[in-house]
Amino acid sequence: MALLGRLDWYNLARTTNWTPGSVTEDELFPPDMSGSMGIPLSKWESYDEPYKQTYPEYVKVQREKDAGAYSVKAALERSEIYEKADPGWQSVLKLHYGAFPRAEYSASTAEARMARFGKAPGMRNMATMGMLDEMRHAQLQLYFPHELCPKDRQFDWAHKSYDTNHWAVVAARHLFDDMMVTRGASEVALGLTFAFETGFTNMQFLGLAADAAEVGDWSFSNMISSIQTDESRHAQIGGPLVAILLENGRKEEAQRIVDMMIWRAWKLFSAVTGAAMDYFTPVADRKMSFKEFMLEWIVSQFERALMDLGLDKPWYWDQLVADLDHASHAMQMGFWFWRPIMWWNTPAGVTAEDRAWLEEKYPGWSESFGTVWDVITDNLLEGKKELTYPETLPMLCNMCQLPIASVPGPAWKVRDFPLEYKGRSYHFCSEGCQWCFEQEPERYAGHLSLIDRFLAGHIQPPNLEGALNYMSLAPGEIGDDAHNYAWVEKVRAARQKAAA
Amino acid sequence: MSEVEVLKPLKTWSHLAKRRRKPSEYEVVSTNLLYNTRDANAPYDLDPDLAMNRWYKQYRNSSPLQHDDWNAFRDPDELVYRTYNMLQDGQETYVFGLFNQFNEREHDKGLEPRWVGTLARIYTPGRYLFHALQMASAYLQQMSPASTITNCAAFQAADSMRWLSHTAYRTKELSLTFTSKGLGEDERKYWEDDAAWQGFRVLMEQVLTTWDWGEAFVALNLVAKPAIEEAVLRKLGEAGRHNGDTLLGMLTDSQLLDAARHRRWATALVKMTLEKSGNAEAIKQWIAKWEPLADQAIDAFCAAMPEVPNAAADAKSATRDFRRSLML
Repeated sequence: MALLGRLDWYNLARTTNWTPGSVTEDELFPPDMSGSMGIPLSKWESYDEPYKQTYPEYVKVQREKDAGAYSVKAALERSEIYEKADPGWQSVLKLHYGAFPRAEYSASTAEARMARFGKAPGMRNMATMGMLDEMRHAQLQLYFPHELCPKDRQFDWAHKSYDTNHWAVVAARHLFDDMMVTRGASEVALGLTFAFETGFTNMQFLGLAADAAEVGDWSFSNMISSIQTDESRHAQIGGPLVAILLENGRKEEAQRIVDMMIWRAWKLFSAVTGAAMDYFTPVADRKMSFKEFMLEWIVSQFERALMDLGLDKPWYWDQLVADLDHASHAMQMGFWFWRPIMWWNTPAGVTAEDRAWLEEKYPGWSESFGTVWDVITDNLLEGKKELTYPETLPMLCNMCQLPIASVPGPAWKVRDFPLEYKGRSYHFCSEGCQWCFEQEPERYAGHLSLIDRFLAGHIQPPNLEGALNYMSLAPGEIGDDAHNYAWVEKVRAARQKAAA
Repeated sequence: MSEVEVLKPLKTWSHLAKRRRKPSEYEVVSTNLLYNTRDANAPYDLDPDLAMNRWYKQYRNSSPLQHDDWNAFRDPDELVYRTYNMLQDGQETYVFGLFNQFNEREHDKGLEPRWVGTLARIYTPGRYLFHALQMASAYLQQMSPASTITNCAAFQAADSMRWLSHTAYRTKELSLTFTSKGLGEDERKYWEDDAAWQGFRVLMEQVLTTWDWGEAFVALNLVAKPAIEEAVLRKLGEAGRHNGDTLLGMLTDSQLLDAARHRRWATALVKMTLEKSGNAEAIKQWIAKWEPLADQAIDAFCAAMPEVPNAAADAKSATRDFRRSLML
């Protein structure tokens, strides 16, 4: 072979900054779009991405990865993995596909923001590949669930969800839009690639892949693991940026964005991933609890990464760790209680085996969340299903857009964090969410949560029917108990056996 | 709600199910993916008056280029991510095969030093130009009003990075044979100061700071790119062949395959916009505004090109042929 090695020419391919002549530097890189924080062009040229890949390597490696992901799917096409899966796992798939593909597509625009407005040439090239990666993630995660459409109308939400005002999608858009597509290139690199992709996507895509493998859903497991190999490349866009910001005295700005986005991502994932791992996945197939995954993949991972980069632990760190004990349970309770307003069927996940697992993983669960499930279970045993449906709406946080919740039982201390801003009352679920709002109130002030919209009369008629209509949910796709309450009969049998 | 119809499972996404034919893979994974077009008042789900929301409302939603259904756009090549990689991996295997073969035959040692001086002046600095195309295409990706358009813009950005990568590779390789030509060193100086490049540099700086998405598309895809492709790819490739640089001619031929694909989607998009009155006028006005800058850039560049008679006239004429084909 008489070819150059990639590192022989790699540097030239990222030596592409020039001094503009017919426009100013700020015109070519508007500060708001580039997030340049007053740092001039020349200072960005020391940016050194640790994961180096060239264009020819990219198209070759990615072609091979796709050949793998699509061929596993094709090979397993007739194996009826989906049909044979537990309804709880089917709901994991519905929740995952409704939450992610269209957001992944939006992430390609976030990468494009860095590819155009990043002041570091290496960042622009890495982000160009990142932009393609995110197209891949959207396309894979649309192609796979598409074949499930004929099996269940709820899979239509893999595409449709982001076109709606569904409450969970409003929450997802509020986070992803804040983190990915409404900020300058530097903030995108800090928030999306560093705060989000180095940790949370690992948990969703590797953690859930581990559960999927246990369940026997190889097609899904293989596909989302393959996605994570792309993330592990383009997630490294943020690290070298932090180095430049610190060298130029912008630690405070970097820390602020990182702190905001870790908090915001944590809140959303406590709902999406937390319930999926602790309740939806059949108990026999759970690799670890959500709390264990969080401690391993997020808490310790971030502690190391932040220290390596010269950043500090976020101020709320102890609070976040304390919340690991209950966040997924509160969200799960909401998912099941308000089950008609989901595009998936929420499994209760409270059979005797489930309860034993929950008590083991979350000591004290039986005395807190367990007591609420006791009431629900008793009502179902007594045939009073109507008492297990909500009569009111949950109060939603004006930042994370999720229900304001806490731990039931003797320790019940649900707390609203209210704030008056320019004559309007805002309500937050936590100090963290209120703090995020206070960092840049003008980014959020004009947004209405679904409850705000309800109170403002945007949702008509103001009842469940109006709410379902507003959220584009119709019979045939609205959620119910995933196991059609079969678990209640198991409880009945167990109680009768115990009584006898 | 008792009389309400119960929805049945569909064979495809509900937005595609209204039609009677089976959707292709391209349609399943490419259509109607943007959600920042759903609420004209708040493209993104935060404060409607957020700076980035104002940016999209002004530069995209209020563009003179308008259509009632941008989602109807289809890429004539129907490329999806996985087929893009198959296509370009094949092309890169071909190009790197050329690099390998020509290196084994010691191609560069046979080049005239005078021609190498020309390469140092008007070929290797081109990586700045191709990178500018990469950046401008990435802007179109973020601002286009339908995912079928943003996909084309994303592939175009990646293709521009491909051209830049070829140039970086050849710059390094040439510098190993010719150590006194400033190869790998002086490109930025040529790009910023040499008369041959100033037209294209100004043109691209102006394109890169054009924020209206419709005008950015017209300036980039209908004017700047055709000018660059005709002068910096086709004519320079000819100059290469006329100066014993067979490799350069074959390399630009491969790059021109990408350029032809970019023109196919741009042509299809223009054709779709002509369904609505007012768009033809807007496009024509933008072309009239940008054409002189592109022509000056071609003139300045081609003046530095040896052994290609009428290079500038041919290149300009070819850009006119392309724009005439749009039937504006």
